[in-house]
This record gives sequence, C-alpha cells and structure tokens, in this order.
Amino acid sequence: MKNIISIIVVALFFTGCTKIIDLDYKGNMSKIVIEGNITNQAGPYFVKITKSVGLTETGVYPTIDDAIVTISDDAGNSELLTPNGNGIYKTSNLIGVEGRTYTLTVETENRTYTAQSAMPEQTPFDSIRVDNITIRGDTEYNLIPAYKDPIEKGNNYRFVLSINNKLINQHFIQNDEVKNGFENTFKLDVNDDDLEPKSGDLINIEMQCIDKKVALFYTTLALIADSGPGGGTTPNNPPNNISNGALGIFSAHTAETKSIIIP
Amino acid sequence: MYKKTALNFLLLFSSTLLLAQAKYTVSGTVKEKSSGEMLIGVSITIEEKANVGVITNEYGFYSLSLPQGKYTLRFSYIGYEHKLISVELNSNVTENVDLEDGIFLQEAVVTSRKYDDNLTTSAMGTEILSMKTAAVVPVLLGEKDLVKTILLMPGMKSNGEGSNGFSVRGGTADQNLILLDAAPVYNASHLLGIFSTFNSDAIKDATIIKGNSPAQFGGRLSSVLDVKMKEGNNKTYQASGGIGLISSRLTIEGPLFQKEKSSFIISGRRTYVDIFARLSSDFKDVELYFYDLNVKANFAINNKNKIYFSGYFGKDVLAVSDLFGSNWGNATGTLRWNSVLSSKLFSNTSLIYSNYDFNLGFQNDGSEINYNSKIKDLNLKQDFSFYPNSQNTLRFGFNLIHHNITPAKAKGMNIVSNKNNREGLENSVYISNSLKASDKINIDYGLRFSFYSILGGDTYNIYQNNELVESVKLANGKVDKTYYNFEPRISINYRVNNTSSLKAAYARNTQHLHLMSNSTGGSPTDQWIGNSYNIKPEIADQISFGFSKNFNENMFELNAETYYKSMQNQIDYKDGADINIVQDIESQLLFGKGRAYGLEILLKKNKGKLTGWIGYTLSKTERKINGINNDEWYNAKYDRTHDLSVVGIYNLTPQWTLSCTFIYSTGNAVTFPTGKYVLNGMTIYQYDNRNADRMPVTHRLDISLTYEVPSNGKYRSSWNFGLYNVYGRQNPYSINFKENKDNPQKIDAEQLSLFRWIPSITYNFKF
Repeated sequence: MKNIISIIVVALFFTGCTKIIDLDYKGNMSKIVIEGNITNQAGPYFVKITKSVGLTETGVYPTIDDAIVTISDDAGNSELLTPNGNGIYKTSNLIGVEGRTYTLTVETENRTYTAQSAMPEQTPFDSIRVDNITIRGDTEYNLIPAYKDPIEKGNNYRFVLSINNKLINQHFIQNDEVKNGFENTFKLDVNDDDLEPKSGDLINIEMQCIDKKVALFYTTLALIADSGPGGGTTPNNPPNNISNGALGIFSAHTAETKSIIIP
Repeated sequence: MYKKTALNFLLLFSSTLLLAQAKYTVSGTVKEKSSGEMLIGVSITIEEKANVGVITNEYGFYSLSLPQGKYTLRFSYIGYEHKLISVELNSNVTENVDLEDGIFLQEAVVTSRKYDDNLTTSAMGTEILSMKTAAVVPVLLGEKDLVKTILLMPGMKSNGEGSNGFSVRGGTADQNLILLDAAPVYNASHLLGIFSTFNSDAIKDATIIKGNSPAQFGGRLSSVLDVKMKEGNNKTYQASGGIGLISSRLTIEGPLFQKEKSSFIISGRRTYVDIFARLSSDFKDVELYFYDLNVKANFAINNKNKIYFSGYFGKDVLAVSDLFGSNWGNATGTLRWNSVLSSKLFSNTSLIYSNYDFNLGFQNDGSEINYNSKIKDLNLKQDFSFYPNSQNTLRFGFNLIHHNITPAKAKGMNIVSNKNNREGLENSVYISNSLKASDKINIDYGLRFSFYSILGGDTYNIYQNNELVESVKLANGKVDKTYYNFEPRISINYRVNNTSSLKAAYARNTQHLHLMSNSTGGSPTDQWIGNSYNIKPEIADQISFGFSKNFNENMFELNAETYYKSMQNQIDYKDGADINIVQDIESQLLFGKGRAYGLEILLKKNKGKLTGWIGYTLSKTERKINGINNDEWYNAKYDRTHDLSVVGIYNLTPQWTLSCTFIYSTGNAVTFPTGKYVLNGMTIYQYDNRNADRMPVTHRLDISLTYEVPSNGKYRSSWNFGLYNVYGRQNPYSINFKENKDNPQKIDAEQLSLFRWIPSITYNFKF
C-alpha cells in the first residue's frame, strides 16, 4: 500500500532523574514494637520494647519500661527478665541451646503478647570470600559468605553486614530452596552505590541460622525494599511471630561472626 | 438454571432462522483498489431500504439476501470513496467491489468506519484504529506504535512510561487478549516495554473491545485487542524499508503466482541501539536489541477458497558481558482456510501455533544458573458466518486450544528442581446473531460455552486455609477436573433519531490462564499458569449503557458509556512470596473478588482542517482478597480517578501537519508508609491500609510536525519532527523512601522520573 522507505534519525536522551518530593502522609497508629533475640552464644539476652512513631517525626522513640517480660523454653526453663531502662529487658540465667523452642511473653498496657521461635542447629560459617570482578574498568568486590548447607532441606540464613563498623541497612536472607546441600555461592549485594565495598574496607558479617517464620519476616522486608521501578511488591507490615498485632520479631538463632579486610 | 438459559438461547436462534424467507443473495468481497487488500468493516447499505445493511467480515466478505428486485448498494468506508452499485436480483449475484482510497489524503483519519456508524452498530466499548491514525500521533522516539496510540482512548490505561502493559476498565494486564492474526501474543512488548511487538509496516488495523466482545472471542476478562496483518499488494511488487539510527526496517510485498488473486508480504525490523551505546565506555559490554519478522501469504485456490499463512517471530536480547544474559520472544503461526460454502455461508478454519519463551542466565562463581519458562499453544478454530436474510447475521463455531506451560525453573550445577510441565485443554463453542430488528433497533446476542480441563503429567497440590490437604498425581494424558462456564452476551442499540442513539449491553467473560507476576506487568519474567484445583476460572460480568450523538452532519461525534463490572476468583499473593523461586507457586496464592465502574466520554472531530478527539474517564476499581487488607475492599493499583487524553491533528497547509497529544491522569493507588520503628538497629517502615495513597499526577504534552515534500510523480517524501514531553514534566515512575544522609531521623521520599524532552527526527520517502 505504501512504498515508504523511512530513515529514522532519533536523538536519544534517556534523562532519568530523581528528586525529593513532599507527600501527604496519612496519620499513623502508634503500635508496640518488640525486638527479642536469643542466640547460642553466652547471655545475657535482651528484649527491647518501644513504640512506633509517625513517619515525619524526628524525636526519640517512646520506650516501655514497666512491662512484665518472660522467656521460657521447651526444656522446662523459664525466666522473668529484669528491666534495664530505655525499654530494654535482660536475662540472667537463661542459656540459648540449638534445637530448643523459646516462648516470649510480654504483658503491658493491659495486653499480652506472645511469640515463639525455634533455634535451628548451627551451620558452620567458614569464611568471607571476596571475589573481584572488573566491569567497565571498575573493580567490584563481591562478598560471599562461605558455608556448606546441610543435606536436610529447609535451612534459612540471615546475614548482618557492617562495612567499616557501619551497619548496612539491608536484609540479607538466603535459603536452600534452589540449591540444597552445597557450598554457598551467592553474594551479599549492597544496593547503595555509596556504600559498596572497596579495597581496604573492614568487613564484618554475622551469620545467623534462623527459623522459617523469622526468615519470612526478613524476606518480606527485603522484597519491599526491592520494589524499585514501578513499585513491584505492594508494601505491608511483614508477617511476624508475635501475637496481638505487635510489630517486631522474636528470633532464636545461632550466631557466628567473621571479619576480613578487603585486600 | 444453565440448561434453561441454554434452551432459551436456542429458541431465540431458531426463531431467526424461521424468519429466513429471502429470495436471492448478493455476496462478494470488498478490496482496496490500489493494493488488493481486503477491507474489513465496510458498510453496505441499500438506498431503497433504510433498515437493511451489513458490514464486511474480517476477510472482506459480505452477503445480503433480499426479495427479487432492483437495488442500489452503497459501499462506504472512511478514507475511501464510496461506491454505488446497481444490482438486479433475479438470481444469486456475486459482486466483488474495489474501493479507491485517498479522497481525504490531506486529512488525517480518526476512524476507519462510516461516519455515523456509532449510531447504528450495537457494538459497545469498541474502538477501531487504523495505521493511518497511528502514523500521525506523536510517540516516544518517533516509532509508530499501535498499542501506545490505542491507549489514548477512554477506558484504557497505560501501566506507565516504559511499559506496554495496560489496564482496561479496572482489569489487570493479563486480562487483555492480544491477538495477531488470531494467534495469542503472550508478551506484547520489546526493549523492556518501550516498543510494542507490532511492526507498524506489517499491520493493517487493530480493534479493541472493552469487555463486551462478541461471542467468538473469549478467554480474557477485560478486553480483546485484535490486530490484523496486511495481506500484501496483489497487483505489483514493492519493496520498502528504512534505515535509522536505532532501527532498520525492510518490507517486500507483491503478487504470488497469480496476479490480483494471491499475494505475500515479508516485513522485518531490528534495533541496534546497543551498537552505538557500546561506543560509550559505560556500555561496552552491553547487548540490548530486538528483532522481529512478519510473514504473510495468501493463495486463492479458486473463487470460493483461499488459503492464508501468517507468521510472526520476534526476539529480545539483553546481556552484560558474560555475567548476565537473557532473551525472550514470541513466535506465532496461523494457517487459515477461507471458504465461501454458499452465497450465504462463509467458513473460516484456522490452525494456530503460539509460543512464548524466556531464558535468563547468571554467571555465578564459575557455575551458571539458568531460568527458563515457556508457554506453547496449539489451537484449532472454526468460524461460520451465515447470512439467512437481510436482518440476521449468524456466527457460530468452536475453538480447541492445547496449552503446554513450562513453569520458571532454575537449572545448573547442583540445582535440584522438580517442577514439571503442565498441560491444559481450553475449549469453547459459541453462537451469536446480529439482528436488525427494525430500522431503529439492532440487537447482537450470543452465547459462549467454555470448558477447561486439567491434563495429567504433573502433581497438583490442593490447599485449604493455607494448608496442604491433598496431592493429586495425574498420569500423562489423563483428563481430570474440568471447569464449565456459560458466557451469555447481549448488546442492543436503539436509534432515537437521525443523530442520536442509546445502547445497553451485558457480557460474561471467563479466563482460564493467569499471569503470575511480581512486577506491574510486561516483565519478561512473568509466567502463566492454568486453572488447577485451587485456581478457578476468573469470571467477569459487565453491564454497560451508552449514548451517542453526532453534530454538524457527523463532523462531531460524542460517545458516552458507563459500566459496572464485577469479577470473581481474582488472584493475589501472600506477603513475602517470591514467585520465581518457590517450589509450588500455588501455595503462595490468595483469592478474592473485584469490582470496577466508571464513565467514559469520547468526543471526536472527524472532518475539517482540525481533527482529533478528547477522551475522558472517571472510574473506580477495587479488590477484596481474603488475607489482604484485613479482608476489606481496597483500591487496585490502576485505580485512577481521572484520566484525560486530548489528540489534535491540524493541517496547517497541504504540506504541513501539526499534531499533539496531551494526557493527564490521577496517580496510581499505592501504599506509602505511615510510620517507622527501629529493629535490631535498622529503621523499618510501618504501613496501614493497602493502596490508600496516590502517586503524584501524571501529565504530559507531546507534539509532532510533518512536512510533505511536494512530489513529482511517484517519488514522495516527508519529514517528521517530534518532541516528547514538551515542557519536561518530571512524571513519577517510582517513589523510594530513604533516610536523609545528613539527618537519618528524617525520611525523604525520592521520586524517579524517566523521560524528559525526548526529541526525534524521521525522514520518510516513498517511490
């Protein structure tokens, strides 16, 4: 129909740009936030009780110091934690043991919150492996936690990364869904370009073996943070293991830390 | 109850057959004179009889049965000269007609139908777009794009810049059936959504039907986008093409074997933006391109039988050195046989193949991980058009589709993945009738019966209240659970007077294939899944009312429609679901319902120096999913209250044409954090109701200017200058929340925008 021969000359400018904008935020309902950790390392272990604040508030977070906090395990041990100020409660005799299930109870403001977490068997953290790759002339350092996943399926791991003693605000979760029973080869990918590891940096990684519910909590947080272009996963308060609508997580996990200086 | 409904429908159809008492039939095909292309939707009316008329079907065929006598047939089609033909009906007559194009060459064409067609047809929620319109509407990077242009109609919402996914009347991207010569296209985007898979050189026209589709279409809830390829010039050989900075095109067409009877067209396109990008050291190792190939041939066996073959093959490649590589693409093939069985009965048989596959590979520690997913269809379609008399056009047929779906699974060293292919049979039979009840009333009514069967070869898990209750292992080839659905459809047009008409319609649609996507649609990693024991067919009931009025002798055309749609068995995911990794995706699904309602207004100016349209949509769409938002109704992502588009095409002089588009829309419904807290030293955001917030509004003005160089003889050329986003509005693409670097207690909302001021220059020549 049309003998059109076209020559298209396109001046191509991909001008992606960012700016800080003002938004109208809905009012926030302040909620109890419970942070509890039991590890296989020596105690004491801490439970911290605070309250959430509105997104635009900049002051300190309110704390709760008059709660009744108990932790028990499935071996018949139970302990009432002592308040230590700033919303922190401390154990004195409790010992974290792999394979045991721990129950946390918090009574405050006429409500009772309970949570359960099972400490998995420890998978040894062998070392931090640093691979360097040259892309576009720049050297990038990949941080790979080296460990051998046990043959039983269903292991979940969480990594806490600090670079030069600065905690990286990212949720690193790995599991054995795709590769079960092998040496790990997946890296911890730092999203913020300004914080990417470079030569001479001190790297600290704590490896935690965590239970399924704790893993789901952190995986959901990681997916929300990833949602990037177009806003993929709809953000939500991640499902946690604490009853009665409290925010936060109670985690019984193993802990092992390695550090390395990038050559 | 179903039985009774079916019986009533049968009675309805048989009564129309009993009315059949016409004496003789005039039938034939209508073609474009210069190229021999079949013309679809040409209106044929009888000067002597006001309430008699028919339109040509998808293959240019028409048939009209009338009592013995002398008649004058008027053939009209916008953009073409109308033609009057006298026939004397003493016996059955064949009248093949050629229409000459070009009476409105100096005028851009907004619609490709008869001017007052909107008043007589009972079709609702239907827009037809010719490539002539798409050619002058300004688009990103100057590449003509059918999908982008059709999204400027009311009721259609683009899923955003850099995405070819779209939402129709509150539906999701996977609820649109996209057909290329009857073959389903599962991913209609190239280059991460910047281009559509439709090469404008090879496309004839496209029709979008927003939920009230005739009974021959089915399988998706929201819309049908029916794209037809050109047949090729059957009179002379032609080669055309283009060489550009980012892409090259070549099209060859001409007669095949017998002149004026058979023809072929081959059209190819490839981008090579990456070759230039690689000149910059930043993109040295980047591969980023796509290519596609359209082929079509038709062969007339005799006057009554014609064979068509059409094929499409396209592929996208994206790779970064040897660290990362991916490619994806569609392949479709359609073999068709048109047969005029009698002057009143037209048959079309199609055998259709469609394949979409996606591959992704990562280099990781010397070992490679590959993800692969695929959907392959084999499809047999039989359609009959029967013209018993001048009041009725009956259509009936069946469709058998075999789906073979390979779920996304990881392959590579040390990886154990035992996901199996799944197969399903999606079948349907349909019957519909288009009745001219009087010179004022047209009724289209029909019934589609669809049934989907799960085929063996995999293990199906059954979940109840999020717990696995049973695993069903089905042997290969075994047909198991089958879902049956009746889909009644009806639409009525009442012509109030010469310039206005009222319409009403109801339709039920069902959907048996569902898209699993963590993204907003249009991502190559999206995967499809069929019905199972947990996933039931999605069902939508849509009721709509419309009003059309034409002014100033059809210079202005106003169409207003309202609709209410209710949707069942809608699917969403649990929190934290990573659908690409999880072993059984069905364990991660949540089910619920949806509703959508709205008002759409379209005002077109069809004639004059200035042509174009204004489209406005006021709408609401919500979901209620068990397990999300405390089981309460919430806004769906593409719930945009206001949506406005203005398209203007102005002929300054015979040489210069200026066109512009302006769009304005409410931001998508999104969830912003309301609060924050600290956990293990990290700040975490607190959320409240789902999708209760709004992205900032999007608005944009695009212009293009076309200059036709005065021509001597056959050689013609033109320049096109375009500017996308004239005033450089930073439209929101995404918003991220992060701690302020200087004051970590302060949370900043950072908005990302994609395109500002994208100019383009195109030189076209033609000989």
